[in-house]
Amino acid sequence: MTALAVFLIVVGLFFLVVGSIGMMRLPDVFSRAHALSLTDSLGAVFVLAGLAVYEGFTLNFLRIIVVLLLVYLMNPAISHATLRAAYRSGLRPSAKEEK
Amino acid sequence: MKVFIAIALFALWLVLSASFNPAHVVLGAIVALIVAWINPIGTPYTRRFLWLRALGYAPWLFGRVVKSGLHVSRLILYPALPIKPELIQHKTKLRSEGELVVLGNSITLTPGTITVEVAPGELIVHAIDASAQQDLISGVLDEKVSRLFSAWEGDQ
Repeated sequence: MTALAVFLIVVGLFFLVVGSIGMMRLPDVFSRAHALSLTDSLGAVFVLAGLAVYEGFTLNFLRIIVVLLLVYLMNPAISHATLRAAYRSGLRPSAKEEK
Repeated sequence: MKVFIAIALFALWLVLSASFNPAHVVLGAIVALIVAWINPIGTPYTRRFLWLRALGYAPWLFGRVVKSGLHVSRLILYPALPIKPELIQHKTKLRSEGELVVLGNSITLTPGTITVEVAPGELIVHAIDASAQQDLISGVLDEKVSRLFSAWEGDQ
């Protein structure tokens, strides 16, 4: 059980690290939001799932599940709100100068 | 209906507070009742949401999230950073608020595509490269989402 938990947490950490690297490497706010969705919908979820497995079926397990559901419900809302604000204030993706 | 909401809120309170001290439990019950009483019931959804089908949809969506997550990770870690970001207009036959919310959230959850602007029948989506758009263009996602809602009352 602990091995499974460690595996899930390591997978989650991988996505968190890649997301952070992407946050620095990607050129503009639109593509950086993709790195954000990577950390949230995969990184955080795998880490939380690992913690839930490690915890076993206790009250804390239920709490972690609640947090997981909240992450999945709110992460898209936040990304969307951020990007819509950027879009409406006139920002457009800057693909041209990259290549 | 409000009673069910109050019970659900109270259960959530118990899980989160994890304290069965009478003062906390009573406070939770009072708060749950007030919140359920203040908030209007009913949703803006014009079509019924099928919860059982959602149970099948969630794992499918997660599988897709993992697949495109690996793809985006590869793009980020690749030294040349081979991204090709663009805004695409996605026409959809989905109209109701509920369908658009589920579709937009599913698009945003999937790494590689993010919903930027939503209007009935049309979404503006930012995609990080061409292969991230595939499920969207092929219409698989629209199809799956529209099957989560039934067309008329009682069609369960």
